[in-house]
Amino acid sequence: MLGWLIKRLVSLVAWAALLLAPMRLQAATLTTTQTLQAVISPLGGLFSFPNSVTLTKSGTTFSNYTGSLSVQYRTRTTQSTGSGSITVKATADFTPTGGPSIATPPSTGDALQYTCSGATLGTSCSSTQTVSTSAATNVVTLSASECTGGGGSCSSTSPNTVTLNFTLTDDPQYKTGSYSATLTFTISAT
Amino acid sequence: MKKVLALTAFALLFAASSALAQLGATTGTTTMSVAVVAEAGLTVNTSTTTLTESGASFSPYTGTTSLTYYIRTTPSTGGGNIQLEVTTDFAPTGGPSVGSPPTGTDALKYTCTVSSPGTACTGSQTSSKTAQTPVGTFGAGANSAFAGNSASVAWSLTNDPLYKVATYTATVTFTISAT
Repeated sequence: MLGWLIKRLVSLVAWAALLLAPMRLQAATLTTTQTLQAVISPLGGLFSFPNSVTLTKSGTTFSNYTGSLSVQYRTRTTQSTGSGSITVKATADFTPTGGPSIATPPSTGDALQYTCSGATLGTSCSSTQTVSTSAATNVVTLSASECTGGGGSCSSTSPNTVTLNFTLTDDPQYKTGSYSATLTFTISAT
Repeated sequence: MKKVLALTAFALLFAASSALAQLGATTGTTTMSVAVVAEAGLTVNTSTTTLTESGASFSPYTGTTSLTYYIRTTPSTGGGNIQLEVTTDFAPTGGPSVGSPPTGTDALKYTCTVSSPGTACTGSQTSSKTAQTPVGTFGAGANSAFAGNSASVAWSLTNDPLYKVATYTATVTFTISAT
């Protein structure tokens, strides 16, 4: 009996050796190559966008209403030839009627205007801009080879920011009440 | 090997989409709001109103003060007014006086003109050193023009022979209010 068992064990060991040996002996190195291609495109995005801005006033009677808004953005424009911009447009005029209006103000001198300051990438709009319901107006102008973050040839800050300071004429013709409008900001980059 | 290549490609695509999400949106909207409330403002166009005697001896001294007012009152429930008060009596003493005239019938009086949407005071008013007196009133939903609307006060000061010869000045304060 013992002899039989030993014979069986030897056979098993032999079979195991036969099975394992070919794997060690047949191991080989296979290499192949893969080409990876990354297409880096110009891009622009608006971040942490405040969903409301309130205009208020203080002090002098019938002085302008004022308020400010900071916009965060990231962008990348094409080397040497690219450009881009951030613009703003009133996509909905003040409602209800009877108060301020961007498109049809009660008095000729009424306007919703803004100045831009502190753009950390690109150039802020250079003068007082008048908000329009029919056309977008400039906030930031981007040049070629602009990029957000990382320092060096890119901006040192990320995201970038720009501040808009709004003024709205306080026309005695406005009826008392609460009014709201919608402003849409758009960023583009090439 | 094909599985390895597929996994690698999928990883690259996933990384690219994650990068796009981190760059934000190309547009953003914000709601701009403003609360318009009742307001009133006044400009006195005539900084010094000189009262002069016209023609007949001891006829009253007269002169006109021009005003521009700006007003917005609340529709349905609002209102407003313009008033005046002699906050500093004529000085030096010895001449006309609003508070202590040398003759009981001496008075600094005025009539009012206020353009729409205001309503002028009625008839001749007697100015006072101790209380405001009316110039004009405004109803609910009154709105002046962007450039303002006109008003004026036409003065008449008794020419009492008891006044000593000199130049006398007083201060009149106008007040406008709106609700």
